Amino acid sequence: MMQLIVAGLTVGSGYALVALGIHIILRATRIVNFAQGEFTVVGGLFALTFVQVLHVSTWFALIGASVCGFVLGLVFERLILRPAGRSGETGLTIATIGTVFILLYGHALIPGWGSLPQPLPAFTGDASDVFTLGGVTIGVQSLWVFALLLVALAAMYVFAERTYYGKAIRAAANNPLGARLIGIDVASTRAVSVGIAIALAAYGGTILGPITLVGGAAGVAISIKGFVGAIVGGLESPIGCVAGGLIVGVVEKLLEGRLSYGVADPIVYSLLLLALLFFPQGLFGRRAAVRD
Amino acid sequence: MIARLRADARLLPFLAAIVVVFGLFAAKSATLAQAGTYAAIYAIAAIGLSLLLGNVRQISIGQAGFFGIGAYAVAYCTAVAGWPFWPAAALGVALAAVVGLALGFVALRFTGHYLAMATLAFGLIAVGIFHEAQPLGGAVGISNVPYAQLGGLTLSGYPAYWFAWGVALLAALLTLNLLRGRTGRAFETIRNDELAAEMVGVQTRRYKIVAFAYAGALAGLAGAIYAAYLGIVVPDAVGVPLSIDFLLMVVLGGSGGVSGALIGAALIGFLDIAGHQFENWREVAYGVLVVGVVIGAPGGLVSLLRRAPKSPPRDARLSALAVSRDRRIEAPGDGPPLDVRGVTKRFGGLLALDDVSFVLERGRLTSLIGPNGAGKTTLFNAICGVGRLTGGVVWIGGRQATGWPSHRIAALGVGRTFQNARLFGEMTVLENVTAGTFRTERGSFAADLLGLPATRRAERAALERARATLAELGLEPIAHTYAKDLPFGDRRRVELARAVAAEPWLLLVDEPAAGLNGHERGTLHEDLLRLRDAGTTLLLIEHDMRLVMTLSDRVMVLKFGRMIADGTPAVVRSNPEVIAAYLGTGS
Repeated sequence: MMQLIVAGLTVGSGYALVALGIHIILRATRIVNFAQGEFTVVGGLFALTFVQVLHVSTWFALIGASVCGFVLGLVFERLILRPAGRSGETGLTIATIGTVFILLYGHALIPGWGSLPQPLPAFTGDASDVFTLGGVTIGVQSLWVFALLLVALAAMYVFAERTYYGKAIRAAANNPLGARLIGIDVASTRAVSVGIAIALAAYGGTILGPITLVGGAAGVAISIKGFVGAIVGGLESPIGCVAGGLIVGVVEKLLEGRLSYGVADPIVYSLLLLALLFFPQGLFGRRAAVRD
Repeated sequence: MIARLRADARLLPFLAAIVVVFGLFAAKSATLAQAGTYAAIYAIAAIGLSLLLGNVRQISIGQAGFFGIGAYAVAYCTAVAGWPFWPAAALGVALAAVVGLALGFVALRFTGHYLAMATLAFGLIAVGIFHEAQPLGGAVGISNVPYAQLGGLTLSGYPAYWFAWGVALLAALLTLNLLRGRTGRAFETIRNDELAAEMVGVQTRRYKIVAFAYAGALAGLAGAIYAAYLGIVVPDAVGVPLSIDFLLMVVLGGSGGVSGALIGAALIGFLDIAGHQFENWREVAYGVLVVGVVIGAPGGLVSLLRRAPKSPPRDARLSALAVSRDRRIEAPGDGPPLDVRGVTKRFGGLLALDDVSFVLERGRLTSLIGPNGAGKTTLFNAICGVGRLTGGVVWIGGRQATGWPSHRIAALGVGRTFQNARLFGEMTVLENVTAGTFRTERGSFAADLLGLPATRRAERAALERARATLAELGLEPIAHTYAKDLPFGDRRRVELARAVAAEPWLLLVDEPAAGLNGHERGTLHEDLLRLRDAGTTLLLIEHDMRLVMTLSDRVMVLKFGRMIADGTPAVVRSNPEVIAAYLGTGS
């Protein structure tokens, strides 16, 4: 049982970062990015390239992949999201789905990335290193995943709450016109927000790389589970998104462990539909007083 | 008929001709015939999604789920239970339609990306069930599905091409019928503005559900034909990628009508076969293409084929019609047209309406005035069934109408205009006003689908009525202009015309004079008087005091949600509390 929960929290960390990225892009641009999971895959592949070509450690690859993710996010915003913005919400949704195709099939065309998943080297020691705590066997890599998730969340918190630019981004997300009037460059805060979200996706893909491997066609499933997490926790709440992602990971592993691999996914997706129906604002979302 | 659909109807024979020519070429090549058959199967599903996405503005990333229902129904019933193809296909289509109804019902709760996710979840759940259901063969699915038979002919290989395209073109024709009738107009109003659609009497919830069921049924039909053609159904073939393919087809071709769906499906169906050796590159190209179309040609490829005319051509049928009408419209029964008792509305901590009561007399023009934020528009919403009341009851024409949905109140004979003129922007003035007659028209889904003569007659009658209303209000010169291109003053008048077209006996008019120039105010004045003289009971929100004081039989004053004065213009004008509310007391 505890074993499954730890495994769930580990994969859930990845979902949590995807959900948080979806939240950040939604807040800044009112777009739900269906390609977020693909960026996780591509981010992990960036790290792989750093390790294989530049022969750096996974630690440096993590930084490199995040920076590359940030730049890729800026490009994504400038080339796809911004021009597609004129086509309305449906058009944007479809544009991000088009992006899924480009990334999913495009990465397989790049030499060295291929279509088969490959492992990243462990952060410390060997990927199979474990220790036992109160009868529960925990992978050392899982610990690194938790620690690095906390680092990312702390960094995000400090950035959003304590820095001038973070506040500008939040202001621009809350009220674009008002922000523009007080001199915030809304176009650039949006671009940076998307950059940060994609950097988080790349970060998530890398920290899980030693455990879940990088590359392959996992992106769609990661996107969907990230959404489920975001919806369960509340799309409008950053803490809710992270918690939701972790919950989805745990539920998924418990179902796989207790029932069978095949039934886990339909049950998780049914949860999504139920959550959408009965808790549209999520577990952590606030229900605003709506004036109609 | 909507201009877009007129172009669609013209394109359809050309597309049919291409299908025939291609079919003749394909006689020699099994590969071509196969590509063409797949294109037809996709097209059937794409037509349904095009209607859903383009005409009702409801996205679905779960259409493959319905496709799977149709495919598995045929596979199971024919290969396992030994049924012939046709009853199996009928069962599949019916099942898909029923599940579509259910999904449509769920979808009412969502808009935009939430809807995208909910439908995606549906598709994932469907494929998960196909995977796990042992009678359906689990992951290996059902094989050895027999070919469909039609009058002794086995529908495989080359004959299947003609069969599939026959069905696809028939589906296109029926869908076009549907869109050109009253049902299509209801869809169009929903796509443009749901609240305004309710106010002209469109049961928006019902029509959205119908659209989901129809799109589901078509996807189920496509799946049924697919199963019999391919001979095998596996869960992975009806998963999310297929749903996304359908979406790609509709977006590439252009949604909202049938020709875009046919073009998109043909393109993808063909590229799927032709681009087989370019795996990965092909999908990347789809992605780039779709992003490019969203950015560069949001109307899809079909929008590049037709130039949208700035002002659509005149409808020749309408040129010689009687314009004068003698009419007298009165509220039914003996009761007052409107009786509001103790209506209270609270938004969180704000008391927007506080125990408001009044009775309107028939055939009178009553004005409702008050400072900004007094609750005037909230009162209109309360009467029209927008949002839930905190307390109180509303009687309309002798009926207890509290809690009724807006369309039902509209259907009683209540018209309304909005403060910011909510027209259906992507419809012409004539189409807007025709939509206004919705509640007085009769019609059914089946009659629209089959394009029965009765439907055509009803359509013509609705157009004539709209035309007469336009003539009455002097709006004929702009009849074929898109509402979104109108200047503000004209928008207000068109909105009034839309409300009047249904001949309401109670009309609620929200700030009609705001933003109008002197001349336009004069015309408005006349229009309102004419309506009152024809017997309509009017309730008017207005800030223009000269208009209010000269027009009104009675004036009611609302302040912070409370009625502070009620009487003839002269009495209200001299009421000290009213003067204080408007000029301030200085304290």
